[in-house]
Parts: sequence; structure tokens; C-alpha cells
Amino acid sequence: MMVQGLSLSEVEFAYDTVPILRGIELEIPGGQFVGLLGASGSGKSTLLRLIAGLQPVSKGHLRWNGERICGPSLERGVVFQDYALFPWLSVVDNIAIAVGKADPGSSKTGRRSEAIRHLKRVGLESAVGKYPSELSGGMRQRGAIARALALGSPLLLMDEPFGALDPVNRARLQDLLLEVWESAKPRKTIVFVTHDIDEALYLGDRVIILGSCPGQVIADLPVDFARHRDRRQLLESRSFHALRERVAETIAADTLQQLIAA
Amino acid sequence: MTPTASVTREVQVTPVPPDPSNAQGFVPWPVPFRFARGPASAGTTLPRQPQRLLRRLLRLLEGCSVFAALLVAWFIAAEYLPLGDNPLIPAPPLVLRALIDSLPELWAGTLSSFSILVPGFALATTAGIVSGLAVGSSRHLANAFLPVAKVAAPVPPTVYIPYAIAILPTFKLSAIFVVFIGAFWPVFQNAVAGAHALEQRYRDNAAILGLSGFEYRWRVVFPAALPHIFAGMAVGLGFSFILLTVAELFGANAGLGRFVQYYADFADYPRMVAGILYTGLVTWLAMSGLDFLRRRALFWHQ
Repeated sequence: MMVQGLSLSEVEFAYDTVPILRGIELEIPGGQFVGLLGASGSGKSTLLRLIAGLQPVSKGHLRWNGERICGPSLERGVVFQDYALFPWLSVVDNIAIAVGKADPGSSKTGRRSEAIRHLKRVGLESAVGKYPSELSGGMRQRGAIARALALGSPLLLMDEPFGALDPVNRARLQDLLLEVWESAKPRKTIVFVTHDIDEALYLGDRVIILGSCPGQVIADLPVDFARHRDRRQLLESRSFHALRERVAETIAADTLQQLIAA
Repeated sequence: MTPTASVTREVQVTPVPPDPSNAQGFVPWPVPFRFARGPASAGTTLPRQPQRLLRRLLRLLEGCSVFAALLVAWFIAAEYLPLGDNPLIPAPPLVLRALIDSLPELWAGTLSSFSILVPGFALATTAGIVSGLAVGSSRHLANAFLPVAKVAAPVPPTVYIPYAIAILPTFKLSAIFVVFIGAFWPVFQNAVAGAHALEQRYRDNAAILGLSGFEYRWRVVFPAALPHIFAGMAVGLGFSFILLTVAELFGANAGLGRFVQYYADFADYPRMVAGILYTGLVTWLAMSGLDFLRRRALFWHQ
């Protein structure tokens, strides 16, 4: 029976002989929004690169919808922290490349109008003809989200996409991402790497915490807050604070253990 | 990029007399004003545009200063130094007259030289970019071709001139070949370096978008390598001019190098110096044209 979603079994990864990730076992059902947390150097971004197919695993298997992941694919879109767009192409041309890949039979004008539709969806219609260097960090990340949406990938991998943004822009883009994710039918599966516990809990259905040296899953917690979340209400709620404390303590305990081991 | 404010700001200009005894020993010469932003209290106000004009004028003066000094030194050397009536250093007015008189001949020489330079340089640029990007973005091609390039590239292209003249049917073809060889290697090497230097984030983005083969090279590797390619083209163009003029010394019957050699043979030094100055001007114009292209193409590169 084909398993819908992402499945990681006994995944290991090492740079030369240095182990980075060990024994990663995960099942992420389709349509789930997962926050991936962990201390710096725990291998969160490496795990995301493995899922994206940008790097081969040293051992173990990764499967998406039952098929083994052997390299990058349009099935798996990625949004990086910055520099996602090619600086020599205008914003609309950047998105049009993705549209062309998702629908190779489309005409040039069709791709452009489809790209503009995606830009409107992320509130970037004013920047259609601009170049990435003319945009603010927040606008560039909106462009990156638009490109990922244009690719039409059912699995979206996000590597600290809002990490370089100021708090106001970060909150706006979090809300935009939730709005886009909640309105899509069927919902995309999202793996969202972040350092920010609040962000992971506000966005996710579930948080996975990676421990360091080598990276391994040390906690896998459900985030059961009802959807269509109200940011202020949620962040002030006792259940949110309790979960936040638990996650913070888990990460702090792992960091302390690493310090003692060192 | 922050958009420039469209509001014209005004600056206050306070005349400041030169004061060599101030703390930094700074004398605001040759612009006898010091600009200060703020509300007008005394003195006249200058809008932003004239301020920019003054700055440009100052830059122009600085840029011309060494030229002017060289011209004066030349004039003194030709007119007043006790070198006797030395024909090897013709006075500037003499050279200027020779230049004006020779303009039709120099123009014909320019056309002749460019009929060699343009095809040679264009072929070298095209071949250098295509092969450089192919070799730079494929490990197998790099393993096969880079050892050859390492041996062949350092050979001074001038040594090919006698052989090229011997094996190719016309002088023009030989000269085009030599210009091609001279310009090809810098473009090739820089294109390889540009493709090698492709940042990981661009590789990742291309892989995510499923770009591969020719599409990957055309849409990602080529634009990302353009800063390197233009650096190689600038070196290649400089080499092209050197090789062109050297080749013309060998066997041309027209062209800029030939003009200088011809009048040197007749000891007509005013025309010879005029030819050197004219060639310098043409070279500078060609390099400026390439630089203009570079700035247009690399508007995105900071």
C-alpha cells in the first residue's frame, strides 16, 4: 500500500567521516505542517537538504509518497533563508521559470500571467517588473514563496525563510504562509526549519526537535491548537506557554549535555 | 536598493576662506565653499543640482590634471630643453598639425585595423565563452581540456605571428587568427573561473527548479559568470590591440600599427607620434565601449 506523505527510515549523513545525522526515523503524513527545531549545528538544514534531494544520504531511505528520493524534483519545492531569486532576472521572470517547469506546455504570455497571479497572491503585484536587488528582504521572501507556489510542489521545504526579517515583516509573512496553506485544497505538506520556538508553535501541527552531535530526533510533539489561529490569543494562552517551556527546556537540556560532553 | 528621494533638498553654502592654519591643515581648494545641510541662516542657498555639477567639475579637473602636466612637460622638452633641434621630440603643435593632416589616412587605417580586430575578437569571445562555460561546468570536460589549456595559454601569442603568416593564405586571415589566439585564452580562462565560482545557492535554486543541460548553462551559469567573463574580455581586448598592431608591423599595407611603422621608417616623427596618440585614443574608446556594455549587462551585480 502506498504511504501518502514523507517517510524517513534509519537516515544517516556524514561529511567525510564526521557524523552529522544519525538514525532519523520520521513519518510525516501528507498535508501536515511540521516545525523542525534544534540548537545550531544540530543538522536541521542538512536534513532539509536531504529531503530536497540536494545531497545524497550516507545510509537509510527517504521516501515521498512511497517513492524513494534520489535527487531534486518538482514534487519538493524549497524556500531558502535568502537569495532564493536569481538577481539577473526580474521578479516576474523568476516566477515564470517555475510556472514553465510546472506546466511545460504553457505559452510565454500564459506563463507571465500565471506568474503575475502568484505574485498577487503574496501581495507583490507592485514589484512585477522589478529586480530582486530593488526589493526589501520581506518582499524577496514573498517572491520566494510565490515561486514555490508556482512550482506547485505538494511538499514544501522551508529553511529559516523568515530568519533574516524584522519582527513585523516576519509576523506578516507567517500569516501569509498560513493563509496560503490553509486555503489550498489539498493542503501542502510543509517542513519548516526555524530557530524560533514561537514561530514553530504558531505555524505547525507538530514540532520535531533535533539534538546535536550527531543530529537525532530527541522530541516529537503534537501542537494541538485549533486552526485559524489568532496570534495574540494563542501567544497569550497558558497551553501555548506550557508547550513553549517544554520545547525550550528540551533544547536547553540538549545544549547543556553537549557542553558537558565537550 | 533604496529609492532616491524625489524631493529636491537644499543645501546651505557658507563661503569659507582658505585657512592653512586650521586643525587638519585642510584647505578647501579649489572649491571655495563648504557645504552644510540645515536651515538657512546666512549666505546663499544652492540647490542639489549645482552642488553635483560642482563635484563633477572638480572630478573632471582632477582627471585632466596629469594630462595637462604631461602636455606641459612635453612642450618644455620639445621647445626649451637644450637637446638641439631634436627631431625625435616634435613639439605638440607640430604633432597636432600632423594629426589633423593625417586624419583621412588614420581613419582608413582604423577601418582596416577594425576589419581584423572585430572578427578576431568576436570569434574569440564567442568561442571563449561557449567552451569556457562548458569546461567550467563539467568535471569530465575540465579533466580533458584544462591540462591542454594550462600548456597552451601561457605561450605568448606573438610567437604565432610568423607561422600564421606562413600557413594562412592572406595577411588579413593571419592577423585575425593571431588576434583570436590572444583574446581567446583570457576569455576562456575567466569563463571557466566564473563557472567554477558559481555559488552554491544558485546551484541549489537551479536544481530545485529542475534546470539542467543547456537551459541550466544559459539561464544560470552564463549570467552568474558574466562578471568574470567581462574581466576576461577586457584583458582580451587589450591583448587584441597589442597583437593587431604588432601583426601590422610585420606585413600589413594599411592599419594603425602600419601607419606608425611607415612614418618611423621615413623619420617623420610628428606623424609617428600623432599615430601613437590616435591609436591610444581609439584603444581607450574601444575599452570604454566595453566598459559601458559591462555596466549595462551587470546592472544587477553589486
